[in-house]
Amino acid sequence: MTGSIVVEGVSKKFRRGEHHDSLRDLIPSIAKRVARREPASELGDDEFWALRDVSFEVGAGEAIGVIGPNGAGKSTLLKVLTRILRPDHGRYAVRGRIGALIEVAAGFHPDLTGRENIYLQGAILGLKRAEIAARFDEIVEFAGIGEFLDTPVKRFSSGMNARLGFAIAATLEPDVLIIDEVLSVGDARFQARCLARMRELRARGVPLVFVSHNLPAVSDLCSKALLLNGGKVVFSGGVAETIQRYGRDVSASINRTRPDAAIRVTGVQLFGGDGVPADVFSSGARATVRVSYEATRPIDAPGFAVDIHRADHVYACGISTWNDGEVLGVVSGRGHVDLEIDRLALTAGCYHVSVGIHRAAGIGAAGGPALYDLLQFIHPFTVTSDRGELGVASLGHRWHHAAQALEVQ
Amino acid sequence: MNTPLHPSLMRVARDIREIVAEQVAYRELLARMTHRDLLLRYKQTIMGVGWAVLMPVVNTIVFSVIFMRVAPLDTGMPYPLYAYSGLLAWNFFASSLRFAVTSLTANATLVTKVYFPREIFPLSAVTVTLVDSIVGSVVLAGLMIHYRVAVTPAIAMLPLVVLAETAFTCAMALALAMANLFYRDVKYLFEIVMTVWMFATSVVYPVDLVGSRWGLVLRLNPMVGIIEAFRSVVLRGQVPDATQFAMAAVVSFAALAAAWVTFHRLECRFAESV
Repeated sequence: MTGSIVVEGVSKKFRRGEHHDSLRDLIPSIAKRVARREPASELGDDEFWALRDVSFEVGAGEAIGVIGPNGAGKSTLLKVLTRILRPDHGRYAVRGRIGALIEVAAGFHPDLTGRENIYLQGAILGLKRAEIAARFDEIVEFAGIGEFLDTPVKRFSSGMNARLGFAIAATLEPDVLIIDEVLSVGDARFQARCLARMRELRARGVPLVFVSHNLPAVSDLCSKALLLNGGKVVFSGGVAETIQRYGRDVSASINRTRPDAAIRVTGVQLFGGDGVPADVFSSGARATVRVSYEATRPIDAPGFAVDIHRADHVYACGISTWNDGEVLGVVSGRGHVDLEIDRLALTAGCYHVSVGIHRAAGIGAAGGPALYDLLQFIHPFTVTSDRGELGVASLGHRWHHAAQALEVQ
Repeated sequence: MNTPLHPSLMRVARDIREIVAEQVAYRELLARMTHRDLLLRYKQTIMGVGWAVLMPVVNTIVFSVIFMRVAPLDTGMPYPLYAYSGLLAWNFFASSLRFAVTSLTANATLVTKVYFPREIFPLSAVTVTLVDSIVGSVVLAGLMIHYRVAVTPAIAMLPLVVLAETAFTCAMALALAMANLFYRDVKYLFEIVMTVWMFATSVVYPVDLVGSRWGLVLRLNPMVGIIEAFRSVVLRGQVPDATQFAMAAVVSFAALAAAWVTFHRLECRFAESV
């Protein structure tokens, strides 16, 4: 079965604060409900929209990244998709068996052992005992909990919990995979395995919904993305544009908290060797990073920096005007700075550009406010290569072989 | 002429279809959840299933002292047999509900993190207690041998009696688990109600002795008919009183249908209320 997800105009409201009613409140609340039947589309006192009119679709082999600040409604959206919550409005349809990991820890029973929880989770996913048994070793191997298999889950570390939860969700042949923040726990090796696993499922045609604050991972894994804020879809589209938009929103809110930001980044663009805007480069090609700025007052010799990180946060390269001995003089109004790269000597993969504007004096000095503006992971781009190089750097290379003939006597 | 069904009836029909479809889809889960609860019981208590036997045995001894020495009572059979059979059947009902009432709130992590039919929790509480009661019935068999009570063909009706009691127990379990999720004081009220209910049912004495004034109220209580039917088929070797048992069975199944449909409709609000 090929899974799919369709969400149309979904809204969900919550009440603020804790409300464990006691029987004492029952009669007044009934009276209130009878007296004033509030329509479902309006908010009552203490209510707020956790999701408001959210729509999207994920088809076979597609992956959507859901990004946004904390409290944007990301987890609520996933809980609606997994039928834990029912929306007040709108329609949604998820076809197929859902493998899901919500809020990191799966729904484990703390007193049961890892082994027992695997079977319990399998049953919750609607699998037969034999189907779970067939996949059991694979789950244990993936989660790496072999020796703790018969330990109650309450003694697991949070990393072990997440690993086991992910292993179960991603191994028990889901038709749809919904993963919330699995990358915030677990070590680098596990994160890489998670990403590889999700890519593999996606390649098999499993639609994927991926919530994460790890934007490089989102851009690496997803084809499109949804930017949520305050329960609303602020932006949706290609993953690169959505992340850029999010970066701008974040930097805008950062700048508001920095009243002394006399100069700020207003945009980052990448161009290919032909001067045409590009997101995809072949390894070793020419590239230009354009950093647009706006200064509210004349700034003496600001320093510009461009960093490149690989999707898994490996720091690939850092370039700055001050390290290059480049002095810009007094800068005011609007303008842009171009960084021309002769050879983008990176191996194939997904990368991100971060840009910063620093003060001329006090750069790197301890305690000094060295920074005017910083946009991290603002611009994703992809490097393609037909050479099978691994790692980060693509070193121009060739092989020579000098065979030393054995002297036969 | 084809009269279209009333919309609310259509809705009930749809609810029932959904309930059945879900139970079929998740049939493995009930077994697994019951297994889990049994497993935890054995792991965390030394006595394990011994508790299921101990409770009715101790109660039987206490009530035997009261109603054989202090205030002798004619129950038409050796009193310990009367009391133990009543307590065994009653404890299945009462202990199931005691587990069920907190079953949703105690499993908040599962309720808020994974979807599956929520009735699994109260229903597995009932199933676990049913297993306990089957163990407890060994003592009843022992008492029957001791008092030389023979089993007659009437025992063939036992499954029907157990079915009716299970239906009623499930109905109450669903209703209480749901009520306690929305109103947390239900579990305190529950204990008081159960104490009164036990003495309004022929558990340790024939309830007719209370007086005919309460006749109607007592007849609406399906536990009276069920426990009497249990004693009839197992101990007296008689077919149960048809009207009394039929009424108890009808009330039980009607209650189950009503509780289950209500549960199904409110289920979607559990995760945000738990």
